[in-house]
Parts: sequence; structure tokens; C-alpha cells
Amino acid sequence: MMEFAVLGSEEFTLGFRLAGVRRVYAVRPEEYEAKLLELTEDSTLGILAINSSDLTTVSAHGRRKAMENISPVVIQVGGEEDDLREKVKSAIGVDLYKSESD
Amino acid sequence: MKMAPQDVKPTRSELLEIKKRIKLTQSGYKILKMKRDGLILEFFKILEEAKQIRGKIQKDYDDAMKKATIAEAVDGAIAVHSAAFARRSHPEISLRSRNLMGIVVPKIDATLVKSTVDQRGYGIIGTSTYIDEATAAFEKLVETMVQAAEIETTMKKLLDEIEKTKRRVNALEYKVIPELKESESFIQLRLEEMERENTFRLKRIKNKATARAAAEAAAAMA
Repeated sequence: MMEFAVLGSEEFTLGFRLAGVRRVYAVRPEEYEAKLLELTEDSTLGILAINSSDLTTVSAHGRRKAMENISPVVIQVGGEEDDLREKVKSAIGVDLYKSESD
Repeated sequence: MKMAPQDVKPTRSELLEIKKRIKLTQSGYKILKMKRDGLILEFFKILEEAKQIRGKIQKDYDDAMKKATIAEAVDGAIAVHSAAFARRSHPEISLRSRNLMGIVVPKIDATLVKSTVDQRGYGIIGTSTYIDEATAAFEKLVETMVQAAEIETTMKKLLDEIEKTKRRVNALEYKVIPELKESESFIQLRLEEMERENTFRLKRIKNKATARAAAEAAAAMA
């Protein structure tokens, strides 16, 4: 059995506590990247939920490492999944997420 | 290390060996191309699901955050925090794996995500329906995220495999096969040249022998 974890601000993580998530990490922005990389190495986690807007503070290397991680799977909420979109673009050669309005 | 076409030995056995390798490489190239097409088809099947689940996550997240804000505004931050810390049941995830065109992809199941009011651990009297609604909304979000985790991981793994297969197909198409063909034609040309040289040499020897025989005959006559 693996666990569900959440990383982000106090405001972001509170709701997940209500849903019964035990592994909740409310960190300050300056500690965010180190904690994110630490959690992506944690084999007891199955899914790690993060806020898309927090990812803007993470370095390109850290971001790529976190988003390409499979165990735990890092899921962004509260915004677009730009990393997956970029991955699709580079592998297929076409932006398949592009809507007609874009 | 790969040899340049001119570095191969221009022998018949080497030519046969290269022809065999070209045949093998071409069949590998065809198989890899089929694999790449199959992976792309699988990817397109999952893409729609991924787009839908992404939209659902966004909707569930907006709804959950709205309800949590209302609960905090009505009941106060302390009440919401104490309800959150009183939770008894916790979601758990089990990871199994399945095979999709030779790629191991996860099958994620979650237990204890949804709960009834009496299973949540906080008192019914001390809390309001706003907290219950926010809790239910976040439970729904967690459930959607578990589904998304499975789909998005499958998609990431498929994309990695597509890229890897594409690189291999391109390497075979633009590097390995042309180099082998170049080596083949180099050996063929070299062998033809050697054959021509040999014929020329034999002709010269024959001419020399004829001339010598004629000279000897002339000397005998004199």
C-alpha cells in the first residue's frame, strides 16, 4: 500500500487534510524545491499532488525531474499541465493540446 | 566502434556478411516502424481520456477550493483546521502493473477515498454542512487525481517509448542502413576492380609468354 501526499502552501493543503490525506507538507516557497525533490525520491508515496502555480518557483532541472517521475506520480492541480503538453509536442511533433481558440 | 565504409576488408566473405546484416537491419527497421505506429495509435486512444480527466481535475479543484473558502468564511479557520485534523480514515493507494505493447504501465487503485459523515471522525454537531461539503468535494478531487495519475503516467511512459522508438527508427533509416549499403557498394566496386586487374595481369602474362615463345621460335629458326 502506498500513500497520497500533498505539497504546497497552507491554503492549498488544508482541503486535502479534510479529505483525510495524512502526508501533507505545507512549506515556505524557499524550501519548496528541496522538499519536492525529496518527496519524489520517497518510495512509500504513490501520488504527490502539487499546485501548478508553485512550480514557477522551481528550477527547470527540478521541474523536469519531478514531472518525469513515475513513482510517485506528480500531479499538478490548479492550472494547465504544460509539461505533459511539451512532452507530447516533442514526441509527436504536433501540439495536440492546442484548441481552436488558441 | 563503427568502421568507415573504406575500412572494411574487400573480400567476398565480408560482402556476404554485409548483405546478411543489411537484410537483418531492414527487417528490424520494419518491425520498429510498426511498433512506433502501434504506440502512436495507443497514445491517441489515451489522449482523449487524458484531456477529459485534466478538465475534470480543474473543475473539481475549483469547486473544492470554493467550498473550502466558504467553509472557512462561515465556520472560521480554526473549525475547519480542527475538522481536518480529526479525520480518521485516510486514502490508500495500491499500485499494480499491466503490460501495454511491452511497456509496463501502472494500474492505480485507491481505497478509503470517499467516506460518509459518520466515518470522518469529526463531530456532526460541532461542524456545519459547509465543512461536510468541502470534505466531500476534496474527496471527489482526490478520486479524480488517482484516475489522472494512472492515465498521465501511462501517457508519459508511452511518449518516452515513442521517442525512443523514433530515435531507433531514424538511426536505422539515416545512419545504419546507408552506411552498410555504402560498405556493400565499396566492396562490390573493389572486387570488380580486382577482377579487372587480374584479367589485365593474366592478359599481360599471356602476351609476354606468347612473345617469349615467338622470340624463342625465331631464335631457333636462325
